[in-house]
Amino acid sequence: MTRVRVLLSLAAVAVGVGLWFALTAPPDALQGEYARLLGIHPPSMWVAFIAFGVTAFGSIMWLVKKTERWDRLAAASVEVGVIFTAIGLFTGMVWGQAVWGTAWDWQDPRLMSTAVMFFVYLGYIALRNAIDDPAIRARRSAILGTIAVVQVPLVYFSVNLFRTLHQTQSIRPDGSTMPREMSLAMLVNMGAFLILYVALMAARIEVAKDEAAAAPESTLAGEAVRPPRLSEVEDV
Amino acid sequence: MTLSSVKPILSFQSAGVSLGGRPILRAVELAVGPGEAVGIAGPNGSGKTTLVRAAATLVSIDQGSLSVLGSDTGAPDLTAVRRSIGLIGHQPASIPELTLFENLDHIARLGGFDRSRVTRALEVVGLGEAAGRKVEVCSFGMKRRLEIAHLLLARPRLLLLDEAASGLDDAARDLIGALVDSVLARDGGCLVVSHDRGQLETLTDRVLTLAHGTLKAAQ
Amino acid sequence: MTFWRQALEIARVDLTVESRVGNTIRITLPFAVVALMVFPLALGLQLGVVSATGLGVFWAIGILFGMQVALRQSASDTRERRDLQALLGVDPAARFVGRLFSGGLLMVGFLLTMLVAMAVLFDPDIPQGGWPVLVLSTLLVAIGLTELGTLAGEITTGLSHRTVLASLIVAPLALPLVIGASQSVEALQRDTGILAWILLLIASDLALAVAGVALARPLEKATR
Repeated sequence: MTRVRVLLSLAAVAVGVGLWFALTAPPDALQGEYARLLGIHPPSMWVAFIAFGVTAFGSIMWLVKKTERWDRLAAASVEVGVIFTAIGLFTGMVWGQAVWGTAWDWQDPRLMSTAVMFFVYLGYIALRNAIDDPAIRARRSAILGTIAVVQVPLVYFSVNLFRTLHQTQSIRPDGSTMPREMSLAMLVNMGAFLILYVALMAARIEVAKDEAAAAPESTLAGEAVRPPRLSEVEDV
Repeated sequence: MTLSSVKPILSFQSAGVSLGGRPILRAVELAVGPGEAVGIAGPNGSGKTTLVRAAATLVSIDQGSLSVLGSDTGAPDLTAVRRSIGLIGHQPASIPELTLFENLDHIARLGGFDRSRVTRALEVVGLGEAAGRKVEVCSFGMKRRLEIAHLLLARPRLLLLDEAASGLDDAARDLIGALVDSVLARDGGCLVVSHDRGQLETLTDRVLTLAHGTLKAAQ
Repeated sequence: MTFWRQALEIARVDLTVESRVGNTIRITLPFAVVALMVFPLALGLQLGVVSATGLGVFWAIGILFGMQVALRQSASDTRERRDLQALLGVDPAARFVGRLFSGGLLMVGFLLTMLVAMAVLFDPDIPQGGWPVLVLSTLLVAIGLTELGTLAGEITTGLSHRTVLASLIVAPLALPLVIGASQSVEALQRDTGILAWILLLIASDLALAVAGVALARPLEKATR
């Protein structure tokens, strides 16, 4: 658990630094103070995309190797990815309410596809919770995890493929469309959220390992059932 | 004091039961005295389960009379009588999502039994080490043992067993026998229903046959 | 064990089972939110229409999916378990009340979460002072729906297709609840007073509670 504690402490510091950058960046002429949410919203979604990509990778590796650690990796990554997606959706809605005048635009492909992706991965978590047998759970989750990742590029490129209220990518290979301070805040938070992702993953995987260790797999199930004590029936 | 002057634990007198408009039992005559175990054999569909459920006051009779532990089953409130009845039916009544311990503890709370005896009851039936296991992953035999543990806590005066030993290993069958003996030792009565005549002859004092919905008690 | 202790014990176990199976939070709730999102897509995504229909969609989805929350316990109610409870001396009225406690808690959480989701997704036109009225009517509908679902579960116990049958019983009987709740907000908009509608909801809830407790024992006998 020491490694997890170190990672979590590092993540706390990194997120603190990232938030400082976001809060000290100058307000935007049009968006005002709400522009600071751009230091959090895109990084959280990028980390969510990475998380779901890791899930797909872990799922494929499980299907090939059938070892527990790939299943743990895939499952932990979905849980953390869902958290980051929720942060992204929430901060996006707060920003949208302030800047667009609406928290939710039904006609926006980026918003709708992100929401669909969120629910699909919630379904992944519900599926895992519904299955007790580890092997069946791993197989079905791996199949879903492999298929569901198709949504990630669809969500990411939806702003390029369709006309949307949501802006296109701000940071591109040819430079940024935002002021330097905001781009810096975004990149610092990206790094901070990546560290947080790794820390949360490590913690979640440790918990999963402890849960697996607690299950008495080394003992035969039937050995826990003893012969009855017939002479003590009267004394209960 | 003659046998006939002792009040029976269970007494069917010309009792009839219909379910879904169809007669299942007719003119049943049966008395189970204190310290007596009676076996009922019969083919599938002969009404054995209905007889057991009527004795448990879970099904009402349409004709004749039925007295359980001295009370007429037509009385409005049978709560006190029911608390003295122990029943093992076809299917276990446990809650799959709870552990063996939690199930028995829940029963103890609802039934007002001494909860400090729950662990001991599980140990006596051989489920002490499996107490933390959820029922949904337990075998049928384990669920049966849980039911027996319940009855060890409840100490019923009337024990009703409906195919209770089906699907059990030898150790669990011996446990059923010990349960019957403990009820009889307290001057309770047992009604054991099974299609396995050999099992009935081991467990009970006399075996009767239910056929065509009718059962005549031997004197 | 006293009546109230029996009721609390039944509620405790019901909530324990729900916390382990998690159907309401992990499955019904997300699915209901997805259903909320289907409506605007079906209505053609016109913002004005979406805003205006938000409350109506909330009540429709809330009732339909809320029924599944209300009926989830009776779906696992086996004859053997009821027999066991009868022999343990469990008062059927205590069982009804216990299920009201546990089901009511889940239903309140479910409907309030749906209300928040609807508010965010639909941005409905709620008049001044409307939100407290909306929350109050949601709580009253939650209680009434739980009572209906528990009663319907008792009425249909032991029958084949009981879950569908119970839903069929609950849906029309839930209409007074929906009317009371939706009209209370409308009344605010029209400035015609909400008291009558809130009293309708309270009276419905009380009547259902009394009916449930009074009918519990006769229903128990009717199923034997």
